[in-house]
Amino acid sequence: MPQIALENIVKDYPVGSATIAAVRNATTSVERGQFVSIVGHSGSGKTTLLSLIGGMVRPTAGRVLFNGQDVYAWDSDRLSEYRCEKVGFMFQSASLLPVLTARENLLLPAAFHSKPAAGHERRAEDLLRAVGLGDKLHAYPSQLSGGQQRRVAIARAFMNEPELILADEPTGDLDEETESEMMQFFLRMNAERGTTFLMVTHNSDLAGRARQRFRMDRGELTVLQ
Amino acid sequence: MHTLVTFAFKNVRRKPARTAILIFAIALLVSALVFSISFVQRVNGSIKRTSERLGADLIVVPNNARGAAEEVLLENQTKSFYMDRSILDRVRAIDGVAVVTEQIYLVTLSTMCCSVPEAMVVAFNPETDFIIKPWLAEKLKRPLAKGEAVAGAESSFNIRLGLVDVNSKLFGNEFKLVGSLDKTGTGLDNAVFITLDNMDQIIKSGAAGKLKPSDISIIFVRVKPGVDPSRIAAKVEDTIIEADAVSRRDIGRNVITALKDISRIFTMTIILAAVMSFFLVWAIFTAIANERAKEVGIMRAIGAKESHIMRLYLIEVLTVGVIGSLLGILAGSALSAVFSSTFSIVQQLSTSLTLTERVVIALVSFLGGTLICVLGALGPVRRLKGLEPLLVIKTE
Ligand SMILES: Nc1ncnc2c1ncn2[C@@H]1O[C@H](COP(=O)(O)OP(=O)(O)O)[C@@H](O)[C@H]1O
Ligand SMILES: [Mg+2]
Repeated sequence: MPQIALENIVKDYPVGSATIAAVRNATTSVERGQFVSIVGHSGSGKTTLLSLIGGMVRPTAGRVLFNGQDVYAWDSDRLSEYRCEKVGFMFQSASLLPVLTARENLLLPAAFHSKPAAGHERRAEDLLRAVGLGDKLHAYPSQLSGGQQRRVAIARAFMNEPELILADEPTGDLDEETESEMMQFFLRMNAERGTTFLMVTHNSDLAGRARQRFRMDRGELTVLQ
Repeated sequence: MHTLVTFAFKNVRRKPARTAILIFAIALLVSALVFSISFVQRVNGSIKRTSERLGADLIVVPNNARGAAEEVLLENQTKSFYMDRSILDRVRAIDGVAVVTEQIYLVTLSTMCCSVPEAMVVAFNPETDFIIKPWLAEKLKRPLAKGEAVAGAESSFNIRLGLVDVNSKLFGNEFKLVGSLDKTGTGLDNAVFITLDNMDQIIKSGAAGKLKPSDISIIFVRVKPGVDPSRIAAKVEDTIIEADAVSRRDIGRNVITALKDISRIFTMTIILAAVMSFFLVWAIFTAIANERAKEVGIMRAIGAKESHIMRLYLIEVLTVGVIGSLLGILAGSALSAVFSSTFSIVQQLSTSLTLTERVVIALVSFLGGTLICVLGALGPVRRLKGLEPLLVIKTE
């Protein structure tokens, strides 16, 4: 059984009286432990595709299956648990909570976990060190650079040890060196823990290092290899 | 949970001025609650205690003296009023009456007769008395003799302070103070008590003005078991036109009626304050909901359930409500202490609230303030918790 299966997924956004077809009839599957890159022009539906898989946007038609289960057949709480415990999402835009420190931002997903593991405080600090922010544990987002905030958000996605990471241009505003470090980190998590990665990127070099490649083009999903 | 509490506390401190306004409003509401409940409770409680302590089922007083009698019994006022002694026998003769006893009220005026400040002197009939005796038994192991006086709890306090010199003349007669009474919580705490057999001499001395030997002030009545005091009261009213009768249940009704107007003003003020606080909380939390919609979207996206959002914001609301209510209780209690003395009605009351009453009032007011806070925020917070995670993804 594939970890993720998309069955004839359609997502239309109503805009006024018209509708925008953000995803058109996408069908594919991803095995557990895969590393998938997603490329495509701006507005081609990449973010929408990740959101559909991440349990955040209900499809207009079709089914999203996670380990064989229809994600959107679950009730609101079960869907929240899925987002909290199975998925780690790295958003395209800034997504830290401004009143919380870097460390507290990482503790938040643990606070939403239905069975929080012991030692999550330790884990939060370890993760921040892993992304090179060991000296910024108690810094507020406003005290961090854009790239540093981005890395906090990356670390946060790993907090609840998810089976699946959905990364929407996670290294977009990082310098080349940091970008490469983050990529190493992702590949290591993928290799060591078998975490599945779906990563939107404009960097063709990074895209090339993925084992499976998707392309979005005006809502059409094509699997490149 | 710990993380959510930290988060909520940080949210409270986000806009200090706004939070301060909210806390202030709740504090205002709660202090108004504490103040008015204390006031009303104190008056009501005092009246209830008095009628219990009096030990009579009804009182009979001269026509139109009902208000004055209540002022004496409830409010420590000094008043005198008289009717003819023959009424005593007519009351006793009414079917259903068990025992009756009479008292005569004299007011001392420092300028005229006596070397004491204005006070009540109560002459009672030791033969039939059932009002004073229970209070006296504790202090004095024998009946009060002619030429002797006992002082009510408050007046004995004055005597000890030297404000009242009892050994000097009272209505032209020398009295020996032989004891004092327990505090009863009635207006009679301020009186000095003598027996009726002193009256001849007092009247003879002329110091009591135009008081006639046949005058009495008040009759206390106990009815037979199973007889309804208000039925006897009605009977007295019907058959003795010179007298008014007040049953135990109705003692203090005049005061309570006066109090009703004050209570109504309090109630209006509190309703107004509650409505204003409700809308203030509602408005502020609507603003908060708008400001933090994106944050809630983020939290939902990383896995918060609706109940987590609800909890986070309820902790914030409760924090504000609790701080406001606690400050309000302090302010309200201070207000009660300071300003209740400007209401003559309270000033005259000899009883104050018990600790239990104070605690209950504080608790009720606390719950009231906190509840308004939660109710006001409920609408905006419920809208927030239902937010879809979409927002975070869309906004760039
Ligand atoms: N919430 C939304 N409401 C309306 N239209 C949307 C919304 N989100 C995305 N779209 C539209 O859907 C299309 C795909 O968007 P998106 O998935 O963000 O593309 P990408 O991430 O590849 O840039 C775009 O035309 C975009 O304008
Ligand atoms: Mg996008």
